Amino acid sequence: MITANKLSLRYPDGTLALRDIDLHIDKGEMVFITGPSGSGKTSLLKLLLGMEFPTEGSLTIMGKPMVKGHNKDMRNLRRNIGPVFQEFKLIEGRSSLENVMTGMRFLGSNPKKIKEEAYKALVKVGLEDKIKSKVENLSWGQQQRVAIARAVARKPSIILADEPTGNLDKDNALHILSLLKEFKNNNTTVIITTHATHLIEDVQGVTHLHMDNGSITVERKEIVG
Amino acid sequence: MKTFIYNIGYFFKEAIRTIKSNVLSNFISVIGTSLILFLLGMVVTVTYIGNEFVSKLEQEAEINAYYKENLNNEDIIELTEVISNIEGVTDARLVDEEEAKSYMEGMLGEEAKILELFDENPFTAYIEVRINLSTMDNVIPEISRLDDIDYVRDNKGVLSQLNGIIRGIEIFGALIIIAVGITTLIIISHLIRQGIYNNKEQINTLRLLGASEGFIGFPYILVGLLLTLLGGLIGTILLLLLINGSYDLLGNGFLFLPLPDRGLMVRYIIMFIMGISFILGLLGSLFGLSSIGKNN
Repeated sequence: MITANKLSLRYPDGTLALRDIDLHIDKGEMVFITGPSGSGKTSLLKLLLGMEFPTEGSLTIMGKPMVKGHNKDMRNLRRNIGPVFQEFKLIEGRSSLENVMTGMRFLGSNPKKIKEEAYKALVKVGLEDKIKSKVENLSWGQQQRVAIARAVARKPSIILADEPTGNLDKDNALHILSLLKEFKNNNTTVIITTHATHLIEDVQGVTHLHMDNGSITVERKEIVG
Repeated sequence: MKTFIYNIGYFFKEAIRTIKSNVLSNFISVIGTSLILFLLGMVVTVTYIGNEFVSKLEQEAEINAYYKENLNNEDIIELTEVISNIEGVTDARLVDEEEAKSYMEGMLGEEAKILELFDENPFTAYIEVRINLSTMDNVIPEISRLDDIDYVRDNKGVLSQLNGIIRGIEIFGALIIIAVGITTLIIISHLIRQGIYNNKEQINTLRLLGASEGFIGFPYILVGLLLTLLGGLIGTILLLLLINGSYDLLGNGFLFLPLPDRGLMVRYIIMFIMGISFILGLLGSLFGLSSIGKNN
Protein backbone atom coordinates (compact mmCIF):
# COMPACT_ATOMS: atom_id res chain seq x y z
CA MET A 1 0.00 0.00 0.00
CA ILE A 2 2.73 2.49 1.01
CA THR A 3 6.43 2.04 0.25
CA ALA A 4 9.26 4.46 0.93
CA ASN A 5 12.87 3.94 -0.13
CA LYS A 6 15.65 6.14 1.18
CA LEU A 7 13.03 8.87 1.51
CA SER A 8 14.28 12.32 2.45
CA LEU A 9 12.60 15.68 2.67
CA ARG A 10 14.45 18.94 2.82
CA TYR A 11 12.41 22.16 3.07
CA PRO A 12 13.35 25.15 0.90
CA ASP A 13 14.96 26.85 3.93
CA GLY A 14 17.40 23.94 4.14
CA THR A 15 15.85 22.13 7.10
CA LEU A 16 16.21 18.39 6.69
CA ALA A 17 12.87 17.09 8.01
CA LEU A 18 13.19 13.43 6.98
CA ARG A 19 16.28 11.42 6.20
CA ASP A 20 16.72 8.06 4.49
CA ILE A 21 13.44 6.54 5.56
CA ASP A 22 12.66 2.99 4.44
CA LEU A 23 9.08 2.03 5.10
CA HIS A 24 6.50 -0.51 4.03
CA ILE A 25 2.89 -0.33 5.19
CA ASP A 26 0.38 -2.98 4.09
CA LYS A 27 -3.31 -2.63 3.36
CA GLY A 28 -5.37 -2.77 6.55
CA GLU A 29 -2.38 -2.01 8.77
CA MET A 30 -2.74 0.39 11.66
CA VAL A 31 0.40 2.41 12.32
CA PHE A 32 1.14 4.69 15.24
CA ILE A 33 3.96 7.13 14.66
CA THR A 34 5.33 8.58 17.86
CA GLY A 35 8.22 10.86 18.64
CA PRO A 36 9.03 14.25 20.10
CA SER A 37 8.09 17.52 18.44
CA GLY A 38 10.20 18.16 15.37
CA SER A 39 11.00 14.49 14.91
CA GLY A 40 9.40 14.47 11.44
CA LYS A 41 5.98 12.89 12.13
CA THR A 42 3.92 15.64 10.52
CA SER A 43 6.40 15.97 7.64
CA LEU A 44 5.95 12.27 6.90
CA LEU A 45 2.15 12.71 6.89
CA LYS A 46 2.51 15.73 4.61
CA LEU A 47 4.44 13.57 2.17
CA LEU A 48 1.78 10.86 2.36
CA LEU A 49 -0.91 13.41 1.54
CA GLY A 50 1.07 15.03 -1.26
CA MET A 51 1.41 18.34 0.54
CA GLU A 52 5.16 17.92 0.16
CA PHE A 53 7.21 15.80 -2.22
CA PRO A 54 10.38 13.76 -1.65
CA THR A 55 13.59 15.66 -2.26
CA GLU A 56 15.51 12.38 -2.33
CA GLY A 57 14.52 8.73 -2.51
CA SER A 58 11.05 7.56 -3.50
CA LEU A 59 7.59 7.19 -2.07
CA THR A 60 4.85 5.07 -3.66
CA ILE A 61 1.25 5.03 -2.46
CA MET A 62 -1.29 2.60 -3.90
CA GLY A 63 1.13 1.91 -6.73
CA LYS A 64 1.53 5.59 -7.69
CA PRO A 65 4.85 7.36 -7.20
CA MET A 66 4.52 10.66 -5.37
CA VAL A 67 5.94 13.09 -7.90
CA LYS A 68 5.19 16.79 -8.13
CA GLY A 69 3.06 17.85 -11.08
CA HIS A 70 0.90 14.75 -11.52
CA ASN A 71 -2.21 16.65 -10.49
CA LYS A 72 -4.83 14.16 -11.63
CA ASP A 73 -3.06 11.23 -9.97
CA MET A 74 -2.66 13.31 -6.83
CA ARG A 75 -6.33 14.24 -6.83
CA ASN A 76 -7.40 10.61 -7.23
CA LEU A 77 -5.04 9.57 -4.47
CA ARG A 78 -6.33 12.25 -2.12
CA ARG A 79 -9.89 11.08 -2.75
CA ASN A 80 -8.83 7.72 -1.32
CA ILE A 81 -7.34 9.30 1.78
CA GLY A 82 -9.22 10.49 4.83
CA PRO A 83 -7.01 13.14 6.39
CA VAL A 84 -7.35 14.46 9.94
CA PHE A 85 -5.23 17.57 10.14
CA GLN A 86 -3.56 18.72 13.31
CA GLU A 87 -5.17 22.14 12.89
CA PHE A 88 -8.44 20.46 11.74
CA LYS A 89 -8.85 22.63 8.59
CA LEU A 90 -12.61 22.88 9.09
CA ILE A 91 -14.55 25.43 7.08
CA GLU A 92 -15.85 28.20 9.30
CA GLY A 93 -19.38 29.47 8.93
CA ARG A 94 -20.59 25.95 8.11
CA SER A 95 -22.26 23.45 10.40
CA SER A 96 -20.64 20.18 11.46
CA LEU A 97 -22.82 18.36 8.97
CA GLU A 98 -21.93 20.72 6.11
CA ASN A 99 -18.23 20.30 6.90
CA VAL A 100 -18.44 16.53 6.75
CA MET A 101 -20.55 16.68 3.59
CA THR A 102 -18.12 19.09 1.91
CA GLY A 103 -15.44 16.40 2.05
CA MET A 104 -17.70 14.01 0.15
CA ARG A 105 -19.47 16.17 -2.42
CA PHE A 106 -16.97 15.61 -5.23
CA LEU A 107 -16.79 11.83 -4.79
CA GLY A 108 -19.77 11.15 -7.04
CA SER A 109 -22.51 10.16 -4.59
CA ASN A 110 -25.90 11.81 -4.61
CA PRO A 111 -26.59 14.50 -2.00
CA LYS A 112 -29.10 12.38 -0.07
CA LYS A 113 -26.60 9.54 0.40
CA ILE A 114 -23.87 12.03 1.30
CA LYS A 115 -26.08 13.55 3.97
CA GLU A 116 -26.90 10.12 5.42
CA GLU A 117 -23.25 9.07 5.53
CA ALA A 118 -22.18 12.39 7.03
CA TYR A 119 -24.86 12.12 9.68
CA LYS A 120 -23.79 8.56 10.55
CA ALA A 121 -20.16 9.61 10.85
CA LEU A 122 -21.07 12.45 13.22
CA VAL A 123 -23.14 10.07 15.33
CA LYS A 124 -20.17 7.71 15.47
CA VAL A 125 -17.91 10.41 16.89
CA GLY A 126 -20.60 11.33 19.42
CA LEU A 127 -21.69 14.64 17.90
CA GLU A 128 -25.30 13.83 17.08
CA ASP A 129 -26.43 16.83 19.15
CA LYS A 130 -24.03 19.21 17.34
CA ILE A 131 -24.94 18.43 13.77
CA LYS A 132 -26.33 21.87 13.02
CA SER A 133 -23.85 23.78 15.15
CA LYS A 134 -21.40 26.04 13.36
CA VAL A 135 -17.93 24.57 13.79
CA GLU A 136 -16.47 27.79 15.20
CA ASN A 137 -18.94 27.50 18.08
CA LEU A 138 -17.68 24.04 19.05
CA SER A 139 -14.95 23.28 21.56
CA TRP A 140 -11.51 22.17 20.28
CA GLY A 141 -12.29 18.60 21.16
CA GLN A 142 -15.60 18.74 19.30
CA GLN A 143 -13.94 20.32 16.27
CA GLN A 144 -11.40 17.54 16.29
CA ARG A 145 -14.19 15.00 16.25
CA VAL A 146 -15.84 16.78 13.29
CA ALA A 147 -12.49 16.55 11.49
CA ILE A 148 -12.37 12.83 12.24
CA ALA A 149 -15.96 12.37 11.06
CA ARG A 150 -15.08 14.17 7.83
CA ALA A 151 -12.17 11.79 7.28
CA VAL A 152 -13.99 8.55 8.03
CA ALA A 153 -17.28 9.44 6.29
CA ARG A 154 -15.44 9.30 2.98
CA LYS A 155 -14.78 5.59 3.53
CA PRO A 156 -11.18 6.04 2.44
CA SER A 157 -8.54 3.40 1.72
CA ILE A 158 -6.10 5.23 3.96
CA ILE A 159 -6.76 7.35 7.03
CA LEU A 160 -4.00 9.79 7.88
CA ALA A 161 -4.51 11.35 11.28
CA ASP A 162 -2.16 13.93 12.71
CA GLU A 163 -2.58 13.95 16.51
CA PRO A 164 -6.27 13.01 16.33
CA THR A 165 -6.57 12.65 20.09
CA GLY A 166 -4.53 15.71 20.97
CA ASN A 167 -7.45 17.78 22.22
CA LEU A 168 -9.62 15.04 23.60
CA ASP A 169 -10.07 13.80 27.14
CA LYS A 170 -9.11 10.21 27.85
CA ASP A 171 -12.56 8.71 27.30
CA ASN A 172 -13.13 10.52 24.01
CA ALA A 173 -9.58 9.73 22.90
CA LEU A 174 -10.08 6.03 23.53
CA HIS A 175 -13.43 6.19 21.76
CA ILE A 176 -11.80 7.76 18.69
CA LEU A 177 -8.97 5.23 18.72
CA SER A 178 -11.43 2.36 18.86
CA LEU A 179 -13.41 3.96 16.00
CA LEU A 180 -10.25 4.22 13.90
CA LYS A 181 -9.41 0.63 14.77
CA GLU A 182 -12.81 -0.39 13.40
CA PHE A 183 -11.66 0.99 10.07
CA LYS A 184 -8.43 -0.98 10.31
CA ASN A 185 -10.53 -4.07 10.80
CA ASN A 186 -12.41 -3.15 7.60
CA ASN A 187 -9.10 -3.29 5.69
CA THR A 188 -8.48 0.45 5.76
CA THR A 189 -4.89 1.48 6.38
CA VAL A 190 -4.78 3.81 9.38
CA ILE A 191 -1.73 5.94 10.11
CA ILE A 192 -1.79 8.04 13.26
CA THR A 193 0.80 10.35 14.71
CA THR A 194 0.54 10.97 18.40
CA HIS A 195 2.31 12.19 21.48
CA ALA A 196 -0.06 10.25 23.71
CA THR A 197 1.95 7.05 23.99
CA HIS A 198 0.06 6.10 27.14
CA LEU A 199 -3.15 5.79 25.12
CA ILE A 200 -1.74 3.41 22.55
CA GLU A 201 0.16 1.09 24.82
CA ASP A 202 -2.82 -1.20 25.14
CA VAL A 203 -3.93 -1.11 21.49
CA GLN A 204 -3.27 -4.52 20.01
CA GLY A 205 -2.30 -5.61 16.51
CA VAL A 206 -0.71 -2.37 15.41
CA THR A 207 2.65 -1.13 14.18
CA HIS A 208 4.61 1.35 16.24
CA LEU A 209 7.10 3.62 14.55
CA HIS A 210 9.17 5.89 16.70
CA MET A 211 10.77 8.85 14.98
CA ASP A 212 13.59 11.07 16.08
CA ASN A 213 15.46 13.73 14.20
CA GLY A 214 13.81 12.85 10.86
CA SER A 215 14.52 9.13 11.03
CA ILE A 216 12.60 6.06 12.14
CA THR A 217 14.49 4.79 15.15
CA VAL A 218 12.19 2.00 16.32
CA GLU A 219 9.79 -0.15 14.33
CA ARG A 220 7.68 -2.74 16.08
CA LYS A 221 4.99 -4.76 14.34
CA GLU A 222 2.46 -6.73 16.30
CA ILE A 223 0.93 -9.63 14.50
CA VAL A 224 -2.04 -10.35 16.75
CA GLY A 225 -5.03 -8.01 16.37
CA MET B 1 -21.04 15.80 -15.03
CA LYS B 2 -23.05 13.74 -12.53
CA THR B 3 -21.09 15.31 -9.68
CA PHE B 4 -21.73 18.75 -11.17
CA ILE B 5 -25.49 18.18 -11.38
CA TYR B 6 -25.63 16.75 -7.84
CA ASN B 7 -23.89 19.86 -6.56
CA ILE B 8 -25.71 22.67 -8.37
CA GLY B 9 -27.53 23.63 -5.18
CA TYR B 10 -24.25 23.59 -3.26
CA PHE B 11 -22.53 25.78 -5.87
CA PHE B 12 -25.27 28.40 -5.67
CA LYS B 13 -25.22 28.29 -1.87
CA GLU B 14 -21.44 28.76 -1.86
CA ALA B 15 -21.70 31.62 -4.37
CA ILE B 16 -24.32 33.43 -2.27
CA ARG B 17 -22.22 32.85 0.83
CA THR B 18 -19.16 34.33 -0.89
CA ILE B 19 -21.19 37.36 -1.97
CA LYS B 20 -22.60 37.82 1.54
CA SER B 21 -19.14 37.53 3.08
CA ASN B 22 -18.16 40.88 1.56
CA VAL B 23 -21.45 42.67 1.06
CA LEU B 24 -20.19 46.25 0.92
CA SER B 25 -17.44 45.60 -1.59
CA ASN B 26 -19.76 43.53 -3.76
CA PHE B 27 -22.51 46.15 -3.53
CA ILE B 28 -20.13 48.91 -4.67
CA SER B 29 -18.93 46.73 -7.54
CA VAL B 30 -22.49 45.99 -8.63
CA ILE B 31 -23.34 49.70 -8.62
CA GLY B 32 -20.16 50.47 -10.60
CA THR B 33 -20.96 47.73 -13.10
CA SER B 34 -24.57 48.95 -13.36
CA LEU B 35 -23.47 52.47 -14.23
CA ILE B 36 -20.93 51.24 -16.75
CA LEU B 37 -23.49 49.02 -18.44
CA PHE B 38 -26.04 51.86 -18.33
CA LEU B 39 -23.54 54.02 -20.22
CA LEU B 40 -23.02 51.23 -22.72
CA GLY B 41 -26.79 50.85 -23.06
CA MET B 42 -27.13 54.56 -23.83
CA VAL B 43 -24.59 54.32 -26.65
CA VAL B 44 -26.33 51.22 -28.01
CA THR B 45 -29.69 52.98 -27.86
CA VAL B 46 -28.42 56.05 -29.71
CA THR B 47 -26.83 53.84 -32.37
CA TYR B 48 -30.04 51.84 -32.68
CA ILE B 49 -32.19 54.94 -33.12
CA GLY B 50 -29.69 56.45 -35.55
CA ASN B 51 -29.66 53.32 -37.69
CA GLU B 52 -33.45 53.29 -37.68
CA PHE B 53 -33.48 56.92 -38.85
CA VAL B 54 -31.11 56.24 -41.71
CA SER B 55 -33.04 53.15 -42.68
CA LYS B 56 -36.29 55.15 -42.68
CA LEU B 57 -34.72 57.91 -44.74
CA GLU B 58 -33.37 55.39 -47.18
CA GLN B 59 -36.73 53.71 -47.55
CA GLU B 60 -38.38 57.04 -48.20
CA ALA B 61 -35.78 58.36 -50.61
CA GLU B 62 -37.33 60.98 -52.76
CA ILE B 63 -36.15 63.86 -54.83
CA ASN B 64 -37.92 67.03 -55.83
CA ALA B 65 -37.71 68.05 -59.46
CA TYR B 66 -38.47 71.76 -60.05
CA TYR B 67 -39.58 72.59 -63.57
CA LYS B 68 -39.24 75.80 -65.55
CA GLU B 69 -41.85 78.42 -64.80
CA ASN B 70 -43.03 78.81 -68.41
CA LEU B 71 -44.54 75.30 -68.61
CA ASN B 72 -48.28 74.94 -68.99
CA ASN B 73 -50.36 72.22 -67.36
CA GLU B 74 -50.13 69.84 -70.29
CA ASP B 75 -46.35 70.19 -70.41
CA ILE B 76 -46.15 69.48 -66.69
CA ILE B 77 -48.31 66.35 -67.00
CA GLU B 78 -46.17 65.17 -69.91
CA LEU B 79 -42.96 65.89 -67.99
CA THR B 80 -44.27 63.92 -64.99
CA GLU B 81 -45.01 61.04 -67.33
CA VAL B 82 -41.49 61.17 -68.81
CA ILE B 83 -39.93 61.18 -65.39
CA SER B 84 -42.05 58.27 -64.14
CA ASN B 85 -40.78 56.19 -67.08
CA ILE B 86 -37.13 56.65 -66.19
CA GLU B 87 -35.53 53.44 -64.90
CA GLY B 88 -35.20 53.54 -61.14
CA VAL B 89 -38.16 55.85 -60.60
CA THR B 90 -40.96 54.16 -58.68
CA ASP B 91 -43.40 57.05 -58.67
CA ALA B 92 -43.68 60.64 -59.87
CA ARG B 93 -46.46 63.06 -59.08
CA LEU B 94 -47.12 66.75 -59.15
CA VAL B 95 -47.13 68.67 -55.87
CA ASP B 96 -48.76 72.04 -56.34
CA GLU B 97 -48.02 75.24 -54.36
CA GLU B 98 -50.77 74.64 -51.79
CA GLU B 99 -49.69 71.07 -51.07
CA ALA B 100 -46.06 72.17 -50.80
CA LYS B 101 -47.10 74.77 -48.25
CA SER B 102 -49.22 72.40 -46.17
CA TYR B 103 -46.41 69.81 -46.26
CA MET B 104 -44.03 72.37 -44.81
CA GLU B 105 -46.63 73.38 -42.22
CA GLY B 106 -46.82 69.76 -41.16
CA MET B 107 -43.07 69.56 -40.81
CA LEU B 108 -42.76 72.80 -38.87
CA GLY B 109 -45.59 71.98 -36.48
CA GLU B 110 -46.05 74.79 -34.00
CA GLU B 111 -43.37 76.81 -35.80
CA ALA B 112 -45.58 76.95 -38.89
CA LYS B 113 -46.86 80.31 -37.63
CA ILE B 114 -43.81 81.81 -39.30
CA LEU B 115 -45.41 81.14 -42.71
CA GLU B 116 -48.21 83.57 -41.85
CA LEU B 117 -45.68 86.38 -42.25
CA PHE B 118 -45.76 85.86 -46.02
CA ASP B 119 -48.44 87.72 -47.95
CA GLU B 120 -48.31 85.15 -50.72
CA ASN B 121 -47.55 81.47 -50.72
CA PRO B 122 -43.74 81.36 -50.99
CA PHE B 123 -43.65 77.77 -52.21
CA THR B 124 -43.47 76.66 -55.79
CA ALA B 125 -44.91 73.56 -57.34
CA TYR B 126 -42.61 70.61 -58.08
CA ILE B 127 -42.63 67.00 -59.16
CA GLU B 128 -42.12 64.59 -56.28
CA VAL B 129 -40.09 61.63 -57.54
CA ARG B 130 -39.74 58.46 -55.50
CA ILE B 131 -36.78 56.35 -56.45
CA ASN B 132 -34.78 53.30 -55.50
CA LEU B 133 -31.91 54.57 -53.43
CA SER B 134 -29.45 52.31 -55.23
CA THR B 135 -30.23 54.04 -58.55
CA MET B 136 -29.95 57.55 -57.15
CA ASP B 137 -26.59 58.27 -58.78
CA ASN B 138 -28.00 57.55 -62.27
CA VAL B 139 -31.52 58.88 -61.90
CA ILE B 140 -30.67 62.37 -60.63
CA PRO B 141 -28.40 63.32 -63.59
CA GLU B 142 -30.92 61.87 -66.02
CA ILE B 143 -33.76 64.00 -64.63
CA SER B 144 -31.49 67.03 -64.41
CA ARG B 145 -30.66 66.67 -68.12
CA LEU B 146 -34.31 67.02 -69.15
CA ASP B 147 -34.89 70.34 -70.95
CA ASP B 148 -37.93 71.36 -68.90
CA ILE B 149 -36.25 70.77 -65.56
CA ASP B 150 -34.88 73.81 -63.80
CA TYR B 151 -33.12 72.01 -60.97
CA VAL B 152 -33.32 68.89 -58.85
CA ARG B 153 -33.15 68.84 -55.08
CA ASP B 154 -32.12 65.58 -53.46
CA ASN B 155 -31.42 64.58 -49.86
CA LYS B 156 -28.35 62.59 -50.78
CA GLY B 157 -26.08 64.97 -48.92
CA VAL B 158 -28.24 64.78 -45.81
CA LEU B 159 -28.31 61.00 -46.00
CA SER B 160 -24.58 60.66 -46.38
CA GLN B 161 -24.01 63.15 -43.55
CA LEU B 162 -26.40 61.25 -41.30
CA ASN B 163 -24.74 58.02 -42.32
CA GLY B 164 -21.41 59.51 -41.40
CA ILE B 165 -22.73 60.53 -37.99
CA ILE B 166 -24.14 57.05 -37.39
CA ARG B 167 -20.84 55.43 -38.40
CA GLY B 168 -19.12 57.83 -36.01
CA ILE B 169 -21.48 56.82 -33.22
CA GLU B 170 -20.87 53.17 -34.06
CA ILE B 171 -17.11 53.61 -33.82
CA PHE B 172 -17.59 55.52 -30.58
CA GLY B 173 -19.91 52.73 -29.43
CA ALA B 174 -17.31 50.10 -30.26
CA LEU B 175 -14.71 52.02 -28.25
CA ILE B 176 -17.18 52.31 -25.37
CA ILE B 177 -17.86 48.55 -25.56
CA ILE B 178 -14.11 47.86 -25.38
CA ALA B 179 -13.68 50.28 -22.48
CA VAL B 180 -16.72 48.91 -20.67
CA GLY B 181 -15.56 45.37 -21.33
CA ILE B 182 -12.09 45.96 -19.93
CA THR B 183 -13.42 47.88 -16.92
CA THR B 184 -16.01 45.22 -16.09
CA LEU B 185 -13.44 42.46 -16.52
CA ILE B 186 -11.10 44.26 -14.13
CA ILE B 187 -13.87 44.80 -11.55
CA ILE B 188 -15.17 41.24 -11.70
CA SER B 189 -11.78 39.53 -11.83
CA HIS B 190 -10.67 41.66 -8.87
CA LEU B 191 -13.80 40.63 -6.95
CA ILE B 192 -13.17 36.97 -7.70
CA ARG B 193 -9.53 37.24 -6.69
CA GLN B 194 -10.63 38.88 -3.46
CA GLY B 195 -13.15 36.09 -2.85
CA ILE B 196 -10.50 33.48 -3.53
CA TYR B 197 -8.03 35.22 -1.23
CA ASN B 198 -10.64 35.41 1.56
CA ASN B 199 -11.39 31.71 1.15
CA LYS B 200 -7.89 30.45 0.45
CA GLU B 201 -7.90 28.19 3.52
CA GLN B 202 -11.12 26.57 2.40
CA ILE B 203 -9.82 26.18 -1.15
CA ASN B 204 -6.62 24.60 0.14
CA THR B 205 -8.59 22.18 2.31
CA LEU B 206 -10.84 21.16 -0.57
CA ARG B 207 -7.76 20.55 -2.69
CA LEU B 208 -6.20 18.38 0.02
CA LEU B 209 -9.43 16.39 0.19
CA GLY B 210 -9.19 15.73 -3.56
CA ALA B 211 -11.66 18.23 -5.01
CA SER B 212 -11.06 19.13 -8.65
CA GLU B 213 -10.21 22.68 -9.71
CA GLY B 214 -13.58 22.84 -11.51
CA PHE B 215 -15.45 21.92 -8.33
CA ILE B 216 -13.50 24.48 -6.32
CA GLY B 217 -13.77 27.22 -8.94
CA PHE B 218 -17.36 26.93 -10.11
CA PRO B 219 -18.93 28.83 -7.18
CA TYR B 220 -16.60 31.75 -8.00
CA ILE B 221 -17.69 31.71 -11.64
CA LEU B 222 -21.26 31.90 -10.34
CA VAL B 223 -20.30 34.85 -8.12
CA GLY B 224 -18.96 36.75 -11.14
CA LEU B 225 -21.99 35.87 -13.23
CA LEU B 226 -24.53 36.75 -10.55
CA LEU B 227 -22.90 40.10 -9.76
CA THR B 228 -22.50 41.12 -13.40
CA LEU B 229 -26.02 40.02 -14.30
CA LEU B 230 -27.33 41.99 -11.32
CA GLY B 231 -25.32 45.00 -12.52
CA GLY B 232 -26.72 44.45 -16.03
CA LEU B 233 -30.26 44.23 -14.66
CA ILE B 234 -29.94 47.48 -12.70
CA GLY B 235 -28.30 49.19 -15.70
CA THR B 236 -31.12 47.97 -17.95
CA ILE B 237 -33.81 49.19 -15.56
CA LEU B 238 -32.19 52.65 -15.43
CA LEU B 239 -31.97 52.67 -19.21
CA LEU B 240 -35.60 51.64 -19.63
CA LEU B 241 -36.66 54.45 -17.32
CA LEU B 242 -34.64 56.86 -19.46
CA ILE B 243 -36.03 55.48 -22.74
CA ASN B 244 -39.62 55.57 -21.51
CA GLY B 245 -39.14 59.10 -20.17
CA SER B 246 -37.63 60.24 -23.47
CA TYR B 247 -40.40 58.65 -25.54
CA ASP B 248 -43.04 60.31 -23.38
CA LEU B 249 -41.22 63.63 -23.76
CA LEU B 250 -40.64 63.42 -27.52
CA GLY B 251 -44.04 61.99 -28.38
CA ASN B 252 -44.10 60.27 -31.74
CA GLY B 253 -41.22 61.81 -33.49
CA PHE B 254 -37.93 63.65 -33.41
CA LEU B 255 -36.59 65.97 -36.11
CA PHE B 256 -39.53 65.12 -38.42
CA LEU B 257 -38.77 61.40 -38.12
CA PRO B 258 -40.77 58.81 -36.21
CA LEU B 259 -39.01 57.12 -33.29
CA PRO B 260 -38.35 53.37 -33.63
CA ASP B 261 -40.88 50.92 -32.21
CA ARG B 262 -40.38 51.13 -28.45
CA GLY B 263 -41.15 47.48 -27.66
CA LEU B 264 -38.81 46.16 -30.33
CA MET B 265 -35.98 48.46 -29.28
CA VAL B 266 -36.42 47.70 -25.57
CA ARG B 267 -36.30 43.94 -26.27
CA TYR B 268 -33.13 44.39 -28.33
CA ILE B 269 -31.45 46.48 -25.64
CA ILE B 270 -32.43 44.11 -22.80
CA MET B 271 -31.01 41.17 -24.75
CA PHE B 272 -27.86 43.08 -25.63
CA ILE B 273 -27.10 44.33 -22.11
CA MET B 274 -27.93 41.04 -20.38
CA GLY B 275 -26.00 39.09 -23.02
CA ILE B 276 -22.93 41.25 -22.67
CA SER B 277 -23.27 41.11 -18.86
CA PHE B 278 -23.24 37.32 -19.04
CA ILE B 279 -20.18 37.21 -21.29
CA LEU B 280 -18.26 39.79 -19.24
CA GLY B 281 -19.21 38.06 -15.97
CA LEU B 282 -18.00 34.73 -17.28
CA LEU B 283 -14.74 36.11 -18.67
CA GLY B 284 -14.07 38.21 -15.56
CA SER B 285 -14.62 35.19 -13.35
CA LEU B 286 -12.31 33.05 -15.46
CA PHE B 287 -9.60 35.72 -15.32
CA GLY B 288 -10.06 35.96 -11.57
CA LEU B 289 -10.01 32.19 -11.22
CA SER B 290 -6.70 31.95 -13.00
CA SER B 291 -5.27 33.36 -9.78
CA ILE B 292 -6.35 30.35 -7.69
CA GLY B 293 -3.13 28.49 -8.38
CA LYS B 294 -1.00 31.54 -7.71
CA ASN B 295 -2.64 32.29 -4.37
CA ASN B 296 -2.42 28.74 -3.10
